[in-house]
Amino acid sequence: MAEGVVLAKLPVRGLLNLRLPTGAPATPAVAQLVGLALPETPCTCAAGADVAAYWLAPGEWLVAVNAGAEAELESRLRSALDGTGAVVDVSAGYVRYNLRGSAVAELLMKACPYDFDRRTFGPGRCVQTVFAKATALIAGVEDASFDLAIRRSYADYFERWTADAASAYGG
Amino acid sequence: MLLLQCPHCLEARSEEEFDYAGEAHIQRPAPGVSDAEWTDYLYFRSNPQGRHREMWVHTAGCRRYFNVVRDTGSYEVLAVYPIGANPPPGEREVETLAAETPR
Amino acid sequence: MTGQPRRLPVGGRVDRTSPISFTFDGRTYQGLRGDTLASALLANGVDVVARSFKFGRPRGIVGSGAEEPNAIVRIGSGARALPNQRATQVELYGGLVGVSSAVHGLRGLIDAARRVLPAGFYYKMLMAPPMLWRFWEHVLRRGAGLGTVPQGADPDRYDKLNRHCDVMVVGAGPAGLAAALVAARCGARVVIADEQDAFGGSLLSSALRIGGRPAAEWVVEGVRELRTFEHVAMLPRSTVVGLYDHGFLTVLERCADHLPVAAGPAVRERLHRVRAKEIVLAAGAIERPLVFANNDLPGVMLASAVSCYVNRFGVAPGERLVLATTNDGGYRTALDWQRAGLEVVAVADTRPDPNGALPRAAREAGIRVLPGHGVVEAVGHAHVRAALVAPLNTAGTALTGTPRRITCDLIASSGGWNPAVHLSSQTGTRPVWREEAVGFVAGQRRGLHCAGAVTGASTVEACLAQGATAGASAARAAGLAPGKAELPTTDEAAQEAQQALFVIPHVRDTSRAPPQFVDLQLDVTAADIELAAREGYESVEHAKRYTALGFGTDQGKLGNVNGIAVLARALGREIGDVGTTMFRPAYTPATFGAIAGRDVGDLFDPERHTPMHAWHEAQGAVWEDVGRWKRPRYYPEPGEEMDAAVARECVAARTGVAMMDASTLGKIDVQGRDAARFLDRIYAGGFLKLGVGTCRYGVMLKDDGMLFDDGVTVRLDDERYLVHTTTGNAEAVLAWLELWRQTEWPDLDVYLTSVTDHWATVAVVGPKAREVLGRVCSDIDLAADAFPFMACREGHVADVRARVLRISFSGELSFEVNVPAGKAVAVWEALMAAGSADGITPYGTETMHVLRAEKGFIIVGQDTDGSMTPHDMGLDWAVRHGKRHGFVGERSLALADYQRPDRLQLVGLRTVEPADVIPEGAQIVADVDRTRSGRVPMHGFVTSSYFSATLGRSIALAMLKGGRGRLGETVHCPLDNGKVLAAEVVGPVFYDPDGERQHG
Repeated sequence: MAEGVVLAKLPVRGLLNLRLPTGAPATPAVAQLVGLALPETPCTCAAGADVAAYWLAPGEWLVAVNAGAEAELESRLRSALDGTGAVVDVSAGYVRYNLRGSAVAELLMKACPYDFDRRTFGPGRCVQTVFAKATALIAGVEDASFDLAIRRSYADYFERWTADAASAYGG
Repeated sequence: MLLLQCPHCLEARSEEEFDYAGEAHIQRPAPGVSDAEWTDYLYFRSNPQGRHREMWVHTAGCRRYFNVVRDTGSYEVLAVYPIGANPPPGEREVETLAAETPR
Repeated sequence: MTGQPRRLPVGGRVDRTSPISFTFDGRTYQGLRGDTLASALLANGVDVVARSFKFGRPRGIVGSGAEEPNAIVRIGSGARALPNQRATQVELYGGLVGVSSAVHGLRGLIDAARRVLPAGFYYKMLMAPPMLWRFWEHVLRRGAGLGTVPQGADPDRYDKLNRHCDVMVVGAGPAGLAAALVAARCGARVVIADEQDAFGGSLLSSALRIGGRPAAEWVVEGVRELRTFEHVAMLPRSTVVGLYDHGFLTVLERCADHLPVAAGPAVRERLHRVRAKEIVLAAGAIERPLVFANNDLPGVMLASAVSCYVNRFGVAPGERLVLATTNDGGYRTALDWQRAGLEVVAVADTRPDPNGALPRAAREAGIRVLPGHGVVEAVGHAHVRAALVAPLNTAGTALTGTPRRITCDLIASSGGWNPAVHLSSQTGTRPVWREEAVGFVAGQRRGLHCAGAVTGASTVEACLAQGATAGASAARAAGLAPGKAELPTTDEAAQEAQQALFVIPHVRDTSRAPPQFVDLQLDVTAADIELAAREGYESVEHAKRYTALGFGTDQGKLGNVNGIAVLARALGREIGDVGTTMFRPAYTPATFGAIAGRDVGDLFDPERHTPMHAWHEAQGAVWEDVGRWKRPRYYPEPGEEMDAAVARECVAARTGVAMMDASTLGKIDVQGRDAARFLDRIYAGGFLKLGVGTCRYGVMLKDDGMLFDDGVTVRLDDERYLVHTTTGNAEAVLAWLELWRQTEWPDLDVYLTSVTDHWATVAVVGPKAREVLGRVCSDIDLAADAFPFMACREGHVADVRARVLRISFSGELSFEVNVPAGKAVAVWEALMAAGSADGITPYGTETMHVLRAEKGFIIVGQDTDGSMTPHDMGLDWAVRHGKRHGFVGERSLALADYQRPDRLQLVGLRTVEPADVIPEGAQIVADVDRTRSGRVPMHGFVTSSYFSATLGRSIALAMLKGGRGRLGETVHCPLDNGKVLAAEVVGPVFYDPDGERQHG
């Protein structure tokens, strides 16, 4: 495990905000188009080959695909939904990061009111919460490693805040 | 600093993730009512000391609104339920009683 | 030990190998590692550490912890100075510089002042004629105050940490340690905090044995076991300063306050924000001093503090001790004192027949015990020289004989213990008086488990047992399986009942006796409280405010209960019926540094940046804060002032081509089968028939009919729209739309998604905009008839897929180019290059404001303030009545008051002098001659005002009563410099009223 905290910008992916009517399970057609079953349990995420889906709210997911694949998936999904849901390209709306290292848990304690207790929050979990004075979508990757999606206009603030907090660990 | 159970995320989250969104179960009168009735709806709220039914929105989380019954004296949260659901039966009775108590 | 005359030859938890030096009020002293500043000062025989707040009387150290009212000091100097510290809690380090906070009292007045500064003085003075206040203010400001503000920005680092646990244990004395051990053994996540540098609480200065071993050993073992649990966080030097609702606590950890300043970049203080499922309150108790005449003399101390200095620090704060007590526990101090080889002159016990184990032990040790006696007065000028001791009646309420003088230099007093209920009552739970404990204990509250002295328990054994029980019940309540609790025994003797006595009577009545101090920090006496009662301040909250009892930085930790007792006696009521005042956070003062944490400097609030931020910065843009966004206000050329830059940018937009970063506008994607129906209900205007690929300006109202936001909406296809909001309102509008969607119209099939951050927007503006855009856009026909005003087209700009809107906030020919934010810089630069031959000019928000004001376009939030209807703003054309479902706010528009002809209405103002620019916010009056009388009817105010380079004159927008009916009238704007500007009321559109240019 890396000492301190390591912040790395992740490569750009295609990001689609997907909405389905609540109450009704996702149709097989949607799952087939996305390439995996959308996680129905709150605050969880699922990953397949070249695709990941993050639960954001009842009937709302963030679907991540390879950069460039989002436009076609968007239009196919929109046809499949036929007005009973929505799909929106938000690829450029977020900057994605990975935070890892021996002090990452403490850094998240500084930033977030959410409890990232390793006994309950790990791979397969994701949460939208407050990060310092911004907000973030945070997903567990492995022990002491988290992926974060930050709204683009807050990315500069996020980077400066994180660098400042991490400086306590010499990272 | 409240701790609210979000009925959509199914987790207890700290107050800084939420915004208060006003008293719940306010019936909007039909447009045909008098000015007095309409402005009563616009500007007057029950503001009780005690059990209060109110809306919150999980701003930093799922962005969904929901209802809370909260004691404004003790800050105890007595019920949390989704928009569109009726308040738990006990809460409804309490509310009726409170409304009949002279102010 | 030279230079430490009061240091005992042996004993204490101090390191005697290498003394360290420190300075206090400019003098250098020696102390030991393990000392507090207070113990080191006492070791050096420093007895006067402050002058009192009101009377300037000399004051010494009274206590040994958070309760200390007198030894309030400033530590360090300059920007690092830490004011308001209690010397009893400041750990000594080499080179420490301490300054007494209240040395500048009104020394000259001293006792004379007591005659002119009675209780309620401030209150009465404020009610007196104002001239008198001016006199007193001068005197008081010079004398008052408990410290000075540090100079300069604090260079130290502070931060915050959010913690979550099953059980938070407040205090690591016997009860807290027992609770933490039991809870941890159950598997609970535990946070345990204690204000001292080491865990153990009272056991650190106790001669007791637990389980057959010295108490300190039991502490060490317990701490060692707690360390073995991964899920236990131990926070020494950490004061729980606040207890809030739903298990939320704030804990101030002093990480580096005990280290010399040169400790480096480490965190000085950290605020832990703890969310606990259950709380064990084991905060202990604070000894209650007895109130008697001249009890503020240096040399009068708490009995427990005397024991603490002897046992823990090896310091004797005097030589000859008189102990005044109402209970068995106080005898420990006499025994400790004698064991240290010092002289106990007498014990004055107010009880007629003390016969418990401790009094017996004292007698057996040869200590003179005076049963049924009280210390009625301390004698001395700058220090105790004797005690006047007199026999009392059984109840302790009257003297039964003449006082005799007993020579001594230290009076220790114990009037029982006040449970530290402060935290429990911070959430509004009133403490409850318990007769047998002679103290207020914490009121019942769910999730709060009290243990130890805070419940009134008086023996360590009881504290341990209560701690174990509280730890187990807290763990159980947090959902954990119970673990086993082993209870050690102690060699502690049982105690007899204490006497509930607070004030020792004097030969003279209270108002004539020498002052009997109740609140030492704010110089409140028993006579003051009696006066308050006589003058009708019977509620404890009123008496507190009238006398200032408990108003100091110590929040009356020593004095409050005695004050309540005096008030109860004066009113002939029971103490429990009088009740306590409210305690509020923080328990002890917290620094602003810790409260701010890292939210300082450029991290104070997030700065939101557009993708072109770096480009703007490189161009030398001057920034304007718009909400959290940084937007270029203008781009000055070398040596150019704002007015010149804005004039240049305006001219470029009106005569050539100019460009603006409009990425900050809020953008909401609205999708679904019912998207059109949804927007038609939200907007005041009609949206059902908006054609695909076209735009419409819309206004949103709140339910009260007032303008809330405006912007352009584009229909992207049958079931999809893009709504633009104002920059500052983007979040609020989305929340507003979601409120209606989720709570009022859940049946509508519509979905809202913020795309503000996804799209970047470049506005290309000016007569040459079409030409410039055409150079980098080949797949959109930009011709006026093919791409008309208020249309939307998709294509490529600089090879990036783009959505282009022909909308205009400037009144010029204008194209707003939207591209994904990740590619925005390339597109921006390509457009700049394409327009370079035509002198394309970037412009900022100031020019945008001028351009739109020339056109009479309002800005919601600048020209409106939440009290303007569309009609007030001349926007009736954007309102459509008679829609099937109506629209939000429609009913309110019919309210009678909204029809008043004299409502404020949007107008333009043309100053009579074209060069005069009316300041924004200027008030408008009709009758200039009456401005001098001071009372002039206001007719409105100016909301936007600029100098228009295009028009060569100033222009202004204003809200004016009945304004649209007053065109041509001359109004006046009196300025604060005495000048009055005259202006003609005109329509709000100053430029191109027919809109020919934007349609071009």
